Amino acid sequence: MAATHVLPAPVVQRPRVLMIGTAFAAAASVMVFSGLIAIYLSRRAEVVATSNKWLPEGVKIDLTQPNMMLFTLLASSIIVQWAVYAAARDDRRNLYLSLGLTFLFGFATINQLSYLYSLAKLDVSTTQQAVLIYSISGAHLVMMIAAMIFVLLMAFRSLGGQETSRQHDGVSAAALYWHAMVAVYAIIWITIYVTK
Amino acid sequence: MSITETRQEAETPSGETAAAGVEADPITGALGSSDHKTIGRLYVVFALIFGVGAWVLAALSSAHDAKPSILSADTVNQVFTLSRWGMVLLFVVPLFLGLATYIVPLQVGAATVAFPRAAAAALWTWALSGLLLIIAYAVNGGVAGGRAKAVDLAYLAVAGILVALMMGSISVVTTVLALRTPGMSLERTPLFSWSMLVGASMWLLTFPVLLANILLIYVDHKYGKPSDFGVADSQWKQLAWFFQQPQMFVFLVPALGIIGDVVATMSRRRQSNRGFMFAAIGAFGVLSFGAFAQDYFDAQVWQQAIYIAMGVLIVLPAALALAGWGTTAASGRLNTKSPMLASVFAALTLALAVFGSALFVIKPLRLQNTPTFGYGLLVFVVGTGALAGLAGLFYWAPKFWGRAIPEGLSKLSAVVALAGTLLAGLALCLLGFATRFTGIADATDQLNWAAALGAAVIAVALVLALVTLIAGIRGPDAGDDPWDGQTLEWATASPPPRGNFGELALITSPEPLLDEADDQEEGS
Repeated sequence: MAATHVLPAPVVQRPRVLMIGTAFAAAASVMVFSGLIAIYLSRRAEVVATSNKWLPEGVKIDLTQPNMMLFTLLASSIIVQWAVYAAARDDRRNLYLSLGLTFLFGFATINQLSYLYSLAKLDVSTTQQAVLIYSISGAHLVMMIAAMIFVLLMAFRSLGGQETSRQHDGVSAAALYWHAMVAVYAIIWITIYVTK
Repeated sequence: MSITETRQEAETPSGETAAAGVEADPITGALGSSDHKTIGRLYVVFALIFGVGAWVLAALSSAHDAKPSILSADTVNQVFTLSRWGMVLLFVVPLFLGLATYIVPLQVGAATVAFPRAAAAALWTWALSGLLLIIAYAVNGGVAGGRAKAVDLAYLAVAGILVALMMGSISVVTTVLALRTPGMSLERTPLFSWSMLVGASMWLLTFPVLLANILLIYVDHKYGKPSDFGVADSQWKQLAWFFQQPQMFVFLVPALGIIGDVVATMSRRRQSNRGFMFAAIGAFGVLSFGAFAQDYFDAQVWQQAIYIAMGVLIVLPAALALAGWGTTAASGRLNTKSPMLASVFAALTLALAVFGSALFVIKPLRLQNTPTFGYGLLVFVVGTGALAGLAGLFYWAPKFWGRAIPEGLSKLSAVVALAGTLLAGLALCLLGFATRFTGIADATDQLNWAAALGAAVIAVALVLALVTLIAGIRGPDAGDDPWDGQTLEWATASPPPRGNFGELALITSPEPLLDEADDQEEGS
């Protein structure tokens, strides 16, 4: 057997490593929400079967803010894909603009969610409905913040010239995770906000 | 064909080779290292230490069942739940993850693991969260503990452990999918790497569901009355699915790959029917998906056809794997080296575990009515994991440390682990029949004592394994390829240098080192 250790270490090739890793991370994140929403639906079915009503007396969740959040996130999904398009064409100006807008739309969604929290008179210390709704929307908030940090990191990498038309996996991976986050919100929107 | 090419220019001006890679200060080097070999070693050692503690607690728990005065009413629940967390999240899963972090990059011909810094962060997050969990339990926390803040701390620690194990899993699966050397298609990956791809993927699909359970309990317990999820009596019931059939088998998927690699190498034969083995490991992984079987939220789930079918069908891939190993071993030269011995033992206990799973889901047997049969299955599963982990550890120990481990001590460790698994597992499974047979019901105390003894014996086996490794560090030089290996990890130095390999030739089969040996034979 030839002694391999006398050779220099080869250049590390990373064919779509970040994309694959992000795909698994996104799948794991989606599974967290699968578990949460399955429990939510199970508990909701039990409560509705006995009292015909899911939300406790006096609690009203308006659809305006959730709808705004949905439209904002759907728009951000298009914008983050614009970033991938721009990165693939070495269009720096559009890349920075789209990543910045994606981050801004994420921030706007957080703002809407905090406003929704202030409007909905849900007391976490009294009902299981509040525990479920705060857990699910709060976990989604964490996922959104993670996606925003990912976008921000890729923006810095782009500024450093590491995301080019030849290698823009970072931006693509950030976009993949962002899309997963938006898809999760769409399910939350239907499950929690529309089907109250 | 030569697997590697040697180039003169690799030597440094001082005459040293690139093999250096030895840290000046071992402790500082280990703490700050993102080298997959250091990470893998630390995972294995920590997992063995945690494993000893988990099995001691399991022994205490069973001893309490035999003699209820052993533990106080407050601590019995804590001992019970901490032993379960310990057996799975602090022992068997990280043991496999550690082996994989070290070996998988070598098997696929990669210079490093994917996301090495994330892998290092995962190791330390897991280890520190594990310590935090023990501390939380020590101050009357944990599942349904008496001190509210310590209960919250324990759930945070479990969440930290889960996130860390998922990060480590992502590193490993990405390594298998993205960092294979040229020519190594997915069907040419060694069985252990394939089993880690399947197993870690299933971990990534099921651990997050447990994380969701933990989140609900934590939020309700910390901020709620608690009204539902955080109520002390219901906490463990929500988490129990993770330690039950079929989810428990997800922890065992890597064991199938370890046994496959060990049996083929030790028998000096190529693995026969590789396609079937791949399919068997894949099917075993799919059939062990248990996140849906949460009986706390759906009391009828154990009566569902899919649940029963999964419990019975998992016998098929296990039988297929057993047949594959048997065929390979029978066609080759049998030997009784410690890795082979531990592999045979693991195959035996695996067979018992899947047979028990098929019995468990048959409703007329009423085995679901008592917790002991299910716990017996868990003991078989974790015991199989321990045996397969020991097989992998003994097999790859020369690669880990470059030294030969003491054969007698490692064999003793495997035999003791088998004895403990059989004793504890069979005693608990027999107890599951106590409602049907008065003779068994009369012997409940004796069987609980046997289960306690078995768990303690497994703890002793793990101590012996640790002693074996420590003795091995001072052992004789093992050479780069002491087993006449078949896969790429044996094509580099022991332990491998930074970057692992030089320039690898194009891989043309699943056993590149056998190809090279065959070519040399033909040449001569």
